[in-house]
Amino acid sequence: MRNIIVTSMLALLPFGATDARAHAFLDHAEPRVGSTVQTAPRELSLSFTQDLEPAFSGAEVRDANGTRVDQGKAKISGSSIHLGLKPLSPGTYRVQWHALSVDTHTTEGSFSFQVGH
Amino acid sequence: MSRFMLRSLALALLIASAPVSAAFAHCFVGGRFFPAMLATDDPCVADEMSLPTVQYNSANPSGREHDAGIDFAKRITDNFGIVVSSTWTRVGPPADDGTNGPLAYGFQNLVTTAQFQLLKDAQHELALLAGVIFNWGGSGAAGVGAAPWSTITPTVYFGKGFGDLPDGAGFLRAFAVTGQVGYEIPTTSLDLVSGSPVPQNLLWGTSLQFSMPYLKSSVVDLGLPDFINHLIPIVEAQFTAPVANNFGNDFVITGTVNPGVIWVGSYFQVGVEAVIPINRSSGTSIGAVAQLHLYLDDIFPTSIGQPLFGSSTPTKSMVMR
Repeated sequence: MRNIIVTSMLALLPFGATDARAHAFLDHAEPRVGSTVQTAPRELSLSFTQDLEPAFSGAEVRDANGTRVDQGKAKISGSSIHLGLKPLSPGTYRVQWHALSVDTHTTEGSFSFQVGH
Repeated sequence: MSRFMLRSLALALLIASAPVSAAFAHCFVGGRFFPAMLATDDPCVADEMSLPTVQYNSANPSGREHDAGIDFAKRITDNFGIVVSSTWTRVGPPADDGTNGPLAYGFQNLVTTAQFQLLKDAQHELALLAGVIFNWGGSGAAGVGAAPWSTITPTVYFGKGFGDLPDGAGFLRAFAVTGQVGYEIPTTSLDLVSGSPVPQNLLWGTSLQFSMPYLKSSVVDLGLPDFINHLIPIVEAQFTAPVANNFGNDFVITGTVNPGVIWVGSYFQVGVEAVIPINRSSGTSIGAVAQLHLYLDDIFPTSIGQPLFGSSTPTKSMVMR
């Protein structure tokens, strides 16, 4: 059994290893994750560790009442998502994102930021 | 080329030609990532390989034990997977023995595990897994303690992240716990060599982990150095208690507590833990374990990183908006 496993692994090495890509993790967000900003941002920017499939990636922003405060469809280019925001009043906002990296791995997450407190 | 080689090559080609699909692969549950652990198991089926896990083990009171192991986990379907584990052991004389050279070396019994994913609740970062561990008696070397009898251990595993706590919980949301409970049933009730009963054991383990990646991406980005943001400090614990057919033996719970840290990358992780025995029956000094763990679904995303049959299930959030 041990020999079968080792031999199979060695035989697999030529397949697929060169196009290795990985799950898309959120690398950076603007406004920053968990931050408080004094001026209401006009746009949300999310940067990921891998390139994204635009058709299956996106984000939305909601206020404390659950009302969407983004302007709809996000612009997705390479490893970044940009999403326009409506004028934000002081308060807490929650970002929900989902990403499909170009090798079909899915990830998702959420975080909050505050305006003006 | 031998029949054995042809069989192996055919298996490799079958794996390599598996269809590309939306993959969740290693242990993501919502925004939470549960890393592979060194002493206990994470609560997900996966395409992963630990190569190697090396351990200095003080749990063998008759000598100093060094282990080198490999674990290979493969999804058969999206929710069903197998794990094959093999460990090579070298037992040397005790530190105060004053002699040189190994006392014994060889493989432990081969261990295979069948696992089924019962639940992945993204919103509550909750995962449940059921498994059956088969320890194949007689497949290892008796000189390093491999039993001539087999054991079967039905086991349940769970993982729970605390990211669903209110925002006010702050750093607590980066914590997660995992656990597993199994009942080990040997295929014999009597050790014919020693004449003593072979007990049925309750095996349980747990981990408490603090995810710096989760802290940065879901709680608060503190602007820490990138290396720090890839760390998951962790404390694992594992215990064994004889609960049946233990006539004439002392009732002793053995186990270890393992504090350590895991560095998580995109394609692999590296973990290091101390192994602290909970009593003298569990070991006489502190050991250590280290592991290089490969994410096969990320290294081979279009071949071995896919389930053998069927496709991975896209999550609701993948629906086009």
